[in-house]
Amino acid sequence: MQNFELLRNVTIGQYIPAGSAVHRLDPRAKILAAGMLVLAVSFNTSILANTVFLALVLAVTLVARIPVRYMLRGLLMAVPVLVFIFVMQALFLGWNEPAGAVYVQWGWVRLTRNSLHLMVISMLRIIAFIFLTSLVTMTSTTTELTHGVELLLTPLRRVGVPAHELALILTIALRFVPTLAEEVERIMKAQASRGGEFGVQRIWRPDKLAKAYLPLIVPLFLSAFRRAEELVLAMEARCYVSGAARTRYVVLRARPLDYAVAAGAFLFALWMMFYPLPAVRELLALLGIEGL
Amino acid sequence: MTPILRVENLHHTYASPAGEAIHALRGIDLTVHAGEYVAILGANGSGKSTLAKHLNALLLPTEGDVWVKTWNTRDASRTLDIRATVGMVFQTPDNQIVATIVEEDVAFGPENLGIPHDEMVRRVNWSLEQVGMLSFRQRAPHLLSGGQKQRICIAGVLAMQPQVLILDEATAMLDPVGRDEVLDIARRLNREQGVTVVAITHFMREAIHADRVIILSDGRIALEGTPRELFRQVERLRSLQLDVPQMTELACRLNRRFPDFPADILSVDEMAGALAQSGRLLPPTDLEHTPASRPAVVTQQDRAAEPPLIAVRNLVHDYMRGTPLQVRAVHDVSLDVHAGEIVGLIGHTGSGKSTVVQHLNGLLRADGGSVTVLGQDLSSPGADVRAVRRQVGLVFQFPEAQLFEQYVGDDVAYGPRNLGLDREAVRARVRHAMESVGLGFEAFKDRLTFGLSGGQRRRVALAGVLALEPRVLALDEPTAGLDPQGRRQLLDLILGLHRTGITLVIISHNMEELAAICDRLYVITDGRTAMQGSPAEIFGHAQELRGMGLDAPAVAMLMDRLAEQGLIRPGPAVYTVEQAEAFLAALLGAPEA
Repeated sequence: MQNFELLRNVTIGQYIPAGSAVHRLDPRAKILAAGMLVLAVSFNTSILANTVFLALVLAVTLVARIPVRYMLRGLLMAVPVLVFIFVMQALFLGWNEPAGAVYVQWGWVRLTRNSLHLMVISMLRIIAFIFLTSLVTMTSTTTELTHGVELLLTPLRRVGVPAHELALILTIALRFVPTLAEEVERIMKAQASRGGEFGVQRIWRPDKLAKAYLPLIVPLFLSAFRRAEELVLAMEARCYVSGAARTRYVVLRARPLDYAVAAGAFLFALWMMFYPLPAVRELLALLGIEGL
Repeated sequence: MTPILRVENLHHTYASPAGEAIHALRGIDLTVHAGEYVAILGANGSGKSTLAKHLNALLLPTEGDVWVKTWNTRDASRTLDIRATVGMVFQTPDNQIVATIVEEDVAFGPENLGIPHDEMVRRVNWSLEQVGMLSFRQRAPHLLSGGQKQRICIAGVLAMQPQVLILDEATAMLDPVGRDEVLDIARRLNREQGVTVVAITHFMREAIHADRVIILSDGRIALEGTPRELFRQVERLRSLQLDVPQMTELACRLNRRFPDFPADILSVDEMAGALAQSGRLLPPTDLEHTPASRPAVVTQQDRAAEPPLIAVRNLVHDYMRGTPLQVRAVHDVSLDVHAGEIVGLIGHTGSGKSTVVQHLNGLLRADGGSVTVLGQDLSSPGADVRAVRRQVGLVFQFPEAQLFEQYVGDDVAYGPRNLGLDREAVRARVRHAMESVGLGFEAFKDRLTFGLSGGQRRRVALAGVLALEPRVLALDEPTAGLDPQGRRQLLDLILGLHRTGITLVIISHNMEELAAICDRLYVITDGRTAMQGSPAEIFGHAQELRGMGLDAPAVAMLMDRLAEQGLIRPGPAVYTVEQAEAFLAALLGAPEA
């Protein structure tokens, strides 16, 4: 039996309205902070710093009153990617360096001290990326995010970045996700009523697969084009002119806490980028911990 | 009165996809004064929507001129002034909403006009209040009903503070409740705020409240006048492919029999008044109930003997089951469909009737209760759903949206090919299916699907389901979006299918249609079977139907009104115009006591 309920599987904008302090932050502060942290994590190769970062993200998750279970569910979707990366690294990373402490050598697989370190780091990074981005989308509505992106990009208008147009495209795309999902559901049911079957084809016959889905894709595209044409007329009738000066209904006002979050994220990012600081390394060496 | 819209000798010509020139408008002269409520009527292809798009410079004349206030629409420097003055609401609410939050969508127009923030907030509040949607301001539009979405679209136009509101078939996609909501708002804005309204529609009854009605045919103005002047010309309107409101038609029929009976009646109230005044209406006599005009193919007794083709018992269905968003769409619905019947399902949008129908061919599985179709219990895991789908054809709303092949013949063949039939058998089925919907096999099989008219595409889609040779055909709003002539043709076609032995299940909120063709009706509200019975039994409860947010046929409302006033005995089995004519003529013609 097929499952026609596609809306259940649409996860875009998985907003969880827990009403915490994190939810109330200015979306610009959240986007900026997340951006800086992602950048910093990409440059940091220390297991300790990555672990500290992951712990921090989980702490913020708790403050935001997001069930950690939800976060882990987001991770579930990434498992195939994680496994793929892990296997590729296990196969190839060890051979990059001629020397170094070889821990395991078994056929093609060679694990060295360095390759193991890199593998652990990359796993930690990907998990941190996923957690961080989910945290932002779970605590901000898609509308807040588009406004945030638009306002952050507005200063770049001068160098030709069409900030408003980009935000409008994003908004309209999000606006039509549920509408088109319903449409797909309806067309699928209509074709199923005519004996059409979806999801029983073998994926190793892409030609047959494409043919089976044609009765779904053609009507969907036609409908999307028709909707687009009507939307253009409706927007023009409401005086929309691309690139024209316009005012904004939604006004975001940053509070001290928002500045504090952005500044805090900036400092933490700096620390991540330049860690291990010499002083810290010496301190750790005194304690007998090395090479983290 | 000052003219606010002025159209002079307007011609509009455009190239069809095939490259030939189409003359949509052929010389229109029209003046609309500030504060008027004008209805523009016309069949599909009469040019009415093209005319509307000229009124706010979405289209520019091929010949002639259009002025809004003192601005010519050809003057590009005035385009934004014109569009801010003449606001327009379109047919499909989904395709006009830009933002993901209601209030932000309403603000879209003012944002484009560069209105300062504080003024914009004031306007958004005012507009949402005008359409009664203030408490929905933070909602996501896709979670609203069709009528609510269309009200948001009106608010979005009002926020630009227009002097003219154009409704371009803005009610065509709505159910009766949504339609009334939108029309009430338009009337109120016209009366209280002095907004000029131009309403474009195919339905006469939406024009009853207009100050002036303009009827377009073939790109020209065919008739113009007050609703009262125009509606009595029943035959002329029919020839223009339009319908007249039931009460007007009844009045004209009675007028033909009794020349002193007024023919210019628009509403149930007026008809009840006229009948009361005629003074000849007698207190109830023992008149025989008029039988339904269509002779039944199988009698009730015959049916009770054999088991029903479809039996639904205490059906329960949940959407999004197992998620926090789980909602129960169907609570407790039971219904039977016997061979040879025409069964109607009535209910407003969201009542669960479409969900129920999707159980009839196993698209959805019951979450409680049972669905037995042609002897198969669909809730048992061993049920052969594919066999059931072959026997129970389901035609969705706007089925033309499911077409996908380039050529008509191939599209109709999709079903039979899925059955794995050989070439000859497929060909025979396609031929038969196309001919039974009135599309000649040889003439249409190699036509381009997307080059056909809307009505023809709907027939192709219907043929695509008929090619499976189903015993039962379930149709969800088969006539939605068609103009009156298209509706009549499609209903005739469906009745023709019934005569070939196909059992029909029809979902509709057009009560007048259902009243005319169904053997039995089920009323579904809030996912429950609220009423069931023959049309006479159901429409005898006109008041109760109103209470459930449903329309009763105007004739049924009239009978209810007359019974209330003690003019006739309650509950005559009269619900079509023909029956009412016979019933009332007998009463009016009766000798004075």
